[in-house]
Amino acid sequence: MSQTKLSIVDLTKRYAAGLEPAVDRLNMQVEEGHLVALLGPSGCGKTTTLRMVAGLMDPTAGSITVDGKEITHTPVNKRGMGMVFQSYALFPHMNVEQNVAFGLQMRQTPKAEQKKRVAAALDMVQLGHLGKRQTRELSGGQQQRIALARALVVEPTLLLLDEPLSNLDAKLRETMRTEIRSIQQRTRATTLFVTHDQDEALDMADRIAVMNGGLIEQFGSPTEVYERPRTHFVANFIGQANFLQATVVSEVGPAGAGESHYKVDIEGLGGFGAVGSAGLSGSHELVIRPHRLKVTVANAADRDAIKGTIERVSYTGDALSVAVKVGGKTFNTQLLTSSGDLPRPGDTAYLSWSPEDAYILPVNGKGPAS
Amino acid sequence: MTTLQAPGQTPLRPAEAGELEKATEKRNRRAYLALLIPGLLGLLVSFVFPLAYMVRMSFNRGAPDGVIEETFTFDTYIQPLTDPYYWKVTLDTFQMGVTVGVLCVLVSYPVALFLARSQSKYRSLLLAIAIAPLLTSAVVRTYGWMVILGTNGLVNSSLTGLGIIDTPLKLTNNMTGVTIGLVEIFMPYAILAMISGFGRLSPQLEEAAGSLGASKFNVFTRVTLPLSLPGILTAFLLVFVLSISTFITPRLLGGGSVQVLATEIYDQTTGLLNWPFAAALSVILLVLFGLIIAVYQRLTRKIGG
Repeated sequence: MSQTKLSIVDLTKRYAAGLEPAVDRLNMQVEEGHLVALLGPSGCGKTTTLRMVAGLMDPTAGSITVDGKEITHTPVNKRGMGMVFQSYALFPHMNVEQNVAFGLQMRQTPKAEQKKRVAAALDMVQLGHLGKRQTRELSGGQQQRIALARALVVEPTLLLLDEPLSNLDAKLRETMRTEIRSIQQRTRATTLFVTHDQDEALDMADRIAVMNGGLIEQFGSPTEVYERPRTHFVANFIGQANFLQATVVSEVGPAGAGESHYKVDIEGLGGFGAVGSAGLSGSHELVIRPHRLKVTVANAADRDAIKGTIERVSYTGDALSVAVKVGGKTFNTQLLTSSGDLPRPGDTAYLSWSPEDAYILPVNGKGPAS
Repeated sequence: MTTLQAPGQTPLRPAEAGELEKATEKRNRRAYLALLIPGLLGLLVSFVFPLAYMVRMSFNRGAPDGVIEETFTFDTYIQPLTDPYYWKVTLDTFQMGVTVGVLCVLVSYPVALFLARSQSKYRSLLLAIAIAPLLTSAVVRTYGWMVILGTNGLVNSSLTGLGIIDTPLKLTNNMTGVTIGLVEIFMPYAILAMISGFGRLSPQLEEAAGSLGASKFNVFTRVTLPLSLPGILTAFLLVFVLSISTFITPRLLGGGSVQVLATEIYDQTTGLLNWPFAAALSVILLVLFGLIIAVYQRLTRKIGG
């Protein structure tokens, strides 16, 4: 059963008249219990969106609705949301317990219940033993957990996380990623999560809103945004991609889920198979992920394989990036290493791919989000 | 720690390495101390020596004609400590310091808070304006206040003109005038001291409190105010110390009817030429400073906890 928890309609934020809007008529529906990542480069409007949902910033236009109630102009302290700040924003003059209890005190929860819930929240983040500590004595990861406990103890209508992992070192970030996700799933807290890290978004989120220039370029599940990017920006921002200019020759037949097999003419390379949403025609961009390209050094039997020259090889232990030049175009490929000789620049290589891995971008250039 | 060693040498055992480290540390400390010498010498000549001289002077005996008799007596202390007049002067001084400190903190706090939190591009300009009065001497500003607060000054003529009062208020030549003048004169110091003491205050903390359900009032009382206490205390201490040691404003705005330790010391030094007595009063003033600083340190340790 799915129910809309948060609904954002035409949300717009303009910092000053005459400036480009930071958020431009943004629309989004978030289902109850989902973790939605707002993913995009800095300046794309993701934090602005989060702050408007939190009530820390007033929208220029549009509306925000939670549980069917419009809260667009409700003051921050009446929204009942839990927010974790990038800097954690723990109160330095209170100890851990007092920090976590703050939201309950503001709600005038009875003392005994406060105590019970604070203890439960601290146990949830595995820091039950640190209640009496001063926050400055804690490590970054521990502060992060306290901030999470403080936001969750009030049983917020929405949990809002603003780049919560960006101040942690790489190892800890990975651990906290898993932990935040598991706590979120246990508490079933509907969560908005701002990040610029695509790995984080792919790993943690139920849905990803890929943002660019104040707009959502695509809203979908991690596999959707990775496998079926709508725009060049999405394909480029999430993972790596080879882009090819192609013209649709004919729609060959249905490929399921509203998609079709196509015959396309790739600029400078000739006719190939590809997939894309049904009903496409004309000129489009084609996306192939580097690791979906097959590279063989020996002359392959595959007659569709195209011949090229290895331009650059970079070795990173488990993976090997090989740039293959075909005509004027360089393909980036990625292979897993195996024992034996590494390919060398200057060698001849043959490239091939299965038609399912060549995806036709439905929108040319920067298009509006649906 | 990795220990470098020449080939063929036995590696250092941890204990030896520790001793070596300690020795290096000792040598470093000596080098640092050497660097401190010029500064320490300066302090010795310009601060420690005059202070010691003053303390020594306070045990001399001053004759009415300004002759200083080299001796060792407690008379200079016995007089102020037994004479009710000097008790009153000391108490008045203390009271003035506290009143000016409290009022100055009250009027400077909103300004300092605004300046500390402002994101405006005019912030530096506003800050410059706030501390611009420091460019004029306190004497000039005191005369300014005498004009404003005088019987026919701006305040009284406005109030009588508007029919709010019939007879002019007595705002100069008394403690009221001195207090008003001192509060304004020390505001820039208070503002600067507060801003530098607001280190732990951040807009994110206030936002976090708001998001946890705190009303504007609760955000202020539970987060903003506690976190700005160090700044408030520093500002209070600074203004207190400055106001009990200033003599220009109490002298001019007090018009001779306000006697505080500083004016008394000035009179004793330049008027009556009783340096030993002036020195003794200065020592009493110093003790007053020391007391308030001790209280301040206990308080900051408590709130810094």
